[in-house]
Amino acid sequence: MSEALAIDALTKCYGDVAAVDDLSFAAPRGRILGFLGPNGAGKTTTLRMVLGLIKPTSGWIRVLGEEDAAKVRSRIGFLPEERGLYRRMTPVNAITFLAGLKGMKAEHARRRAIELLESQGLGEAKHRQIRLLSKGMAQKVQLLSAIVHEPELVILDEPFSGLDPVNQLSLEALIRSIAARGATVIFSTHVMQHAERLCDQVVLLAAGRKVFDGTVEAARKVAPRSVVLEGAFGMDALSDLPGLNGLTLERLDGGVLRIVAMLDPSVPAQVVLGAVFAKGLPMDRFELREPNLHEAFILLTASRSEAGSA
Amino acid sequence: MTHVWKIAAREYSAYVQTVGFWLSILLLPVGFATLTIAPMIMQRSTPAPALAVVDLTSRNLAPEIAHMIRAEAIGAEPPARLVAAPGAPFADASDAARRLKIFLTGSRPLPEGGLLDVVAILRPVGGSVAVDIWSRQVADRSVAGLVSEAVDRTLRRQALARAGVNPAVVAAIDHVSASVTDFSPKAARGKVALRDRLPGMVGLGMGFLLWMSVLTGAGMLLGSVIEEKTSRILEILLSSVSVPEIMVGKILGVGGVTATVLALWMIIAVVVVAIRFPSVGVDLADILLARGLLVYFAVYFIGGYLMFATLYVTIGAFCESPREAQALLGPMMILISVPLMFMGEALTRPDAPILTALAFIPPFTPFMMVARVATDPPLWQVGATLALMAATTALELWVAIPAFRSGALISGRFELRTFIAGLTRRLG
Repeated sequence: MSEALAIDALTKCYGDVAAVDDLSFAAPRGRILGFLGPNGAGKTTTLRMVLGLIKPTSGWIRVLGEEDAAKVRSRIGFLPEERGLYRRMTPVNAITFLAGLKGMKAEHARRRAIELLESQGLGEAKHRQIRLLSKGMAQKVQLLSAIVHEPELVILDEPFSGLDPVNQLSLEALIRSIAARGATVIFSTHVMQHAERLCDQVVLLAAGRKVFDGTVEAARKVAPRSVVLEGAFGMDALSDLPGLNGLTLERLDGGVLRIVAMLDPSVPAQVVLGAVFAKGLPMDRFELREPNLHEAFILLTASRSEAGSA
Repeated sequence: MTHVWKIAAREYSAYVQTVGFWLSILLLPVGFATLTIAPMIMQRSTPAPALAVVDLTSRNLAPEIAHMIRAEAIGAEPPARLVAAPGAPFADASDAARRLKIFLTGSRPLPEGGLLDVVAILRPVGGSVAVDIWSRQVADRSVAGLVSEAVDRTLRRQALARAGVNPAVVAAIDHVSASVTDFSPKAARGKVALRDRLPGMVGLGMGFLLWMSVLTGAGMLLGSVIEEKTSRILEILLSSVSVPEIMVGKILGVGGVTATVLALWMIIAVVVVAIRFPSVGVDLADILLARGLLVYFAVYFIGGYLMFATLYVTIGAFCESPREAQALLGPMMILISVPLMFMGEALTRPDAPILTALAFIPPFTPFMMVARVATDPPLWQVGATLALMAATTALELWVAIPAFRSGALISGRFELRTFIAGLTRRLG
């Protein structure tokens, strides 16, 4: 039982619309899994099905070894996409209350809540009403209430939305620390940089269907590499260079041209560079760029959209 | 069950810590005291109207009016203060009206001070008397009846005297009246006393109190669910506990708040009655405790509260804002207000067929049954109405649990189609 979550052929339909369509993937224990996709891809619906909040139309889910998520609720921590807490409660009381619902004894929950708040720099605010806290602080309190009971599986739905860059980095550190103690973290996002920095595995969803499942590295490889060429030459000079397509150009000062082109995966970069030298082009810069997750995301979701509309 | 108590405890403490809770405790006794004291304050702060009588009939009617005003005095406070008509004598009614108008408009005060409020001009018409009442305030009819009755009585006496009836006999006849005593087989000693009427009065009062508290409690619950839904707390709760646990916990928590408010109101009422009306207090305690009205009231309070609370919680789960809930509840409030129109009837005719029939309509049951308590409704009626309420609540819960789950996760306006689709799925 090495998987914290296993999903097979999961489908959820609302009328004739399939919000999630034949989705299968597994999240190994102790890993950070990014659940990626554009808005409306079906991420929240999937996470709600995993939590047992809504029933799938068909398919099968196993969470922490159980088919019924209700049986393992106390071992799961959840942060919903749209966040809020009891505005008139203090952080300590709110975390203690929600920990109590996860089965923690009140005294223990209270002690742990104070520890967590202090470790996250919220010690001074722990007895202040939540309505008086900043948005970032309140979101942090809510995240702490999702992990206070040290769950084996932490599900975070768009945890970075609404946070400033400093708080985003602090949240990334917190997610890493959760995984470091052996918990599995699944978080949904449409901001690829977070996934790129944090995830061991990414599952990419578009229009309800899975379009990728694997490591960040493997996802990047889906997108082609690109080359950047700069020099005082015309576009004509590049026409017979091998392996370049999708050219975009930009005119720089002094008659210099910058060209960014997709590199055909079958053509090594050295071949292009060799061809440039062979033609004697006055080149100032040649750069080989590895694709990032964002580019892979755009490519994968676009191909799915085309397939969907075809 | 632990989760239910935790949710209930949070709900309870969240309300008890608010200013609104303490205000609601104080509001009813303060309102009740104001209602009791206000007429007294009004009477004391408003001087008796100044009345001038212009008698143009030569029948000597003014002394009878003065006598009547003295007779109608409550304590030291007469219903009117007789003043001399300034500028008398007058040629005729129109002369009096014309010359006294300046005093009635308030432009000129009376010679003895103050303003003239009412002028009664008594003028001969054929063999009888006509009374013209001129008032400073258009709507002031406070002394018109008094003057008219005094004039009628004097005219009757004078007619009888002219017919040769001895004035002493007329005066004696004026004082003749039958002694009426109320009896009822339901009265403890046959003769109806305040103690026998108390259950009906208490029942009616409790009916209104029940209506107010049940709907207030259910309204609080509605607000709480909407707040939790809009702030997405419900989604967090749903990931930790089941829908029935959330619903029952919230219903119990707010029910506890409502019961606390009611209990505190009752304690305040008991203290006030014990101090102000000790003899009534003993009878009241006997009715509430020995005759079991308190238990009767508690049972219908619980039944009514559960029925309405379940309904309101479900509606709350489908609403995004209090305004949306208000729009939805508006028509429902008209229906729920029906018992208020009939409960007053229960005081005099608690066994009227219409009241019995209304008591069997579940949304009206708790209020109508409590208001009808004076009839000692047969046990089968109590049992049947309680069973109907329980069945209604069970049906509501059956519909409400999946509806609550679906409503709690939906963002946007309440849609009847969504609600009915959920219900159809449940039935399917």
